[in-house]
Amino acid sequence: MKSPLIEVADLSIQSAGQTITEALSLTLQAGVPLTILGETGSGKSLLAQAIMGLLPDGLSCQGSIRIDGQLLGTSERQSLWGTRMTLLPQEPWHALDPTMRAAQQVVEVHRLVNRHSAARSRQLGQQQLTALGLQPASQQLPSQLSGGMAQRLAFAAATAAGATIILADEPTKGLDASRRDQLVRLLQQHIEQSSSDNPRGLLTITHDIEVARQLGGQIMVMKAGQLLESGPAEQLLVNPRSSYTRALIDAHPANWPVEQSRPTGLAAEADKTPLLQLRQASLRRSDKWLFQQLDLTLAAGEIIGLCGDSGSGKSSLADVLLELLPLNSGQLSWSASVPRQQRLKLYQDPPASFAEQLPLGQLLDDVIRLHRLNASRLPAMLESLALDPSLLQRPSSEVSGGELQRIALLRALLLQPRLLIADEPTSRLDPISARDVTLLMVRTLRRYQCASVLISHDEEQLRHSCDRVLKLANGTLCTLA
Amino acid sequence: MKRMLLKRLLQLLLMAWSIGTLTFVLVRSLPGDMAYRIAAERYGDDAITNAAADAVRAELGLQLPAWQHYLNWLGELLQGNLGNSLVSGDPVIDSLQHQLGFTLALVLGGLLVSLLLALPIGLLAGWQRDRLADHVSLLLSTLIRAQPVFSVGLLLIFLLALNIHWLPVAGFGELKQLILPTLTLGISMAAVSSRIIRNSTASVISSPYYQFARIKGLSRWQTFCHHGGRNIAVPVVAYLGIQTVMLIEGVIMIESLFAWPGIGHALSHAIFARDVPMIQGSALLMGVLFVLINTAVDGLCLWLDPRGQAT
Repeated sequence: MKSPLIEVADLSIQSAGQTITEALSLTLQAGVPLTILGETGSGKSLLAQAIMGLLPDGLSCQGSIRIDGQLLGTSERQSLWGTRMTLLPQEPWHALDPTMRAAQQVVEVHRLVNRHSAARSRQLGQQQLTALGLQPASQQLPSQLSGGMAQRLAFAAATAAGATIILADEPTKGLDASRRDQLVRLLQQHIEQSSSDNPRGLLTITHDIEVARQLGGQIMVMKAGQLLESGPAEQLLVNPRSSYTRALIDAHPANWPVEQSRPTGLAAEADKTPLLQLRQASLRRSDKWLFQQLDLTLAAGEIIGLCGDSGSGKSSLADVLLELLPLNSGQLSWSASVPRQQRLKLYQDPPASFAEQLPLGQLLDDVIRLHRLNASRLPAMLESLALDPSLLQRPSSEVSGGELQRIALLRALLLQPRLLIADEPTSRLDPISARDVTLLMVRTLRRYQCASVLISHDEEQLRHSCDRVLKLANGTLCTLA
Repeated sequence: MKRMLLKRLLQLLLMAWSIGTLTFVLVRSLPGDMAYRIAAERYGDDAITNAAADAVRAELGLQLPAWQHYLNWLGELLQGNLGNSLVSGDPVIDSLQHQLGFTLALVLGGLLVSLLLALPIGLLAGWQRDRLADHVSLLLSTLIRAQPVFSVGLLLIFLLALNIHWLPVAGFGELKQLILPTLTLGISMAAVSSRIIRNSTASVISSPYYQFARIKGLSRWQTFCHHGGRNIAVPVVAYLGIQTVMLIEGVIMIESLFAWPGIGHALSHAIFARDVPMIQGSALLMGVLFVLINTAVDGLCLWLDPRGQAT
């Protein structure tokens, strides 16, 4: 029997004497995808870096790493980069040279590594781009590519020199569902072409249970540097042994509990009183129409989900509703005049919306004093958002992302908003806290009867939490059943 | 690119007008009688008499009101005429042409020396970030930056000219005499630009795309040539442009110190002599140089970093 492509035995990673990941063994067989599942910070990215031989300065690893059956040191593994094994980067935009045009990033590999003639390199590069549907973008710069295109270009560049063992580090991070599926198919195609004289391997690192399910093969679950369980995908995802795996599976939007919608009586009443109406609205960004002739009515207290691929104009539509962006044509009318501080927005990256140095309690006090609010509501609000009052004594940097996003919500709710727009409020959170925050947020918004628009690229998530879900695609809105 | 060039041309015209006007107003508001100052410069301090000053006043029309002078100058400028020197009577353009060559030799020499020093030092320090080479280069750079250019120059004069007599103290004409001033300029420029190169290098080689190029299979050297050079150069070229502009402003000091007959030297003498057309002419020339340098740098950056072309 042939030796496995990658065989790692008792690999542990240390930083200045501290163990970051505990001794761990894994085997990557040709033709069988291996997926490491775990939340951000569980040390799974470091594992891939250790195998590649590119641990950051200050980190070291112990244990043995065999590639194709041979025990290799760091520099020996580095010599296999591109030609035998390769790493698909986490943030493709950052991994591509910002000043080099798309095609050249692939062509240069054929020229410099494979030592083909200039003309032949160009031809091979173009072939690769065409196969991935990137031909129209070949003369563009990375900043002009969409996330999905950038990831496919990175895939082409990473494999151009012939590497057939692919390590993919959160390759679907930041991609919307359709682009994520596209990339997973690309990885599947790669592994399906494995044969005895062309053994191919795929080691994927992800926190997305859906990616793990689609890829199949073997799964390993990691948490805080420890291996919790491993096994074949179909078995592990259906019958997880560890409670953490169970929780990860439950946190997937498709498995969320169905939220009870608004009481029908209230809904009927609210629909009679629309809070705001958008009529014949058109918006243009530079030379592209984001949407044209768009109509949207939001009833008081209604929670709308807004989804769509990245770049479809979801955030711009939200900014229009908040009157942060002027329309090119059409009109936005409110049924009553609502002051500025009651039309609010919740941002994607919770740490970015708080001043770093001050305790959170003081930031809330400032809002209360500025708007002369009733501070006695605070304890009840903290409780309804499942927040411990002692959190308010800490600055934002010492609070987890999920807690911070709930405090941001609390800060908005203090002002008794009539409209709250939450722009991907949980996309930076790990799946479990994303679910908790989303469900809690929707419940709280319902209680305070605040009309809101939740923006997400995850339809499933919105379906499980909103009164109705709209999809923005090709400049038009359609209601999803 | 075309739009940028057109914008720069407009800027050039506006700048020419404003520099001329500003120097005119400033020189007019200097204390002292202009006719006396010019006469002193022409005939020597001992030889000025009221009669000489009156003769100068009559000859140059200094008794005319200021606004008439100003309009005359503006009319001449439109025809491309910078006028004649009040002191020597020669056309300003002739002496500027002569002096500009000297200044450019000094500036380009300084730039060349600074790059010869800063490039290897900056690249090495960036490569060895937070290690010995980096610390030593930071220390040297700080020591040099902490003193004005002329004190670096004096130090070099003491060292290379007065102590070991390798080089002449000052003057011009021979290549040997160009060495000390360019070395002075080059060293003080390199003190800053080496740090800029160091920062740019350190940030490029630690960037994800630099690492990804290695993962694609490129060797260290290939990665440096194809992904390092250009990306390191972008901020460095932009900074060198600013530095060259500052250099032309600061060249007055160096030219005075080494008795180098460039436009900086000419400008300082013209100010002492109240030679208005000469002041206006050299200030104008410097302004034109600034705009030209900025235009060249912008063009170079656009070529190096195609991201700017898209917008």
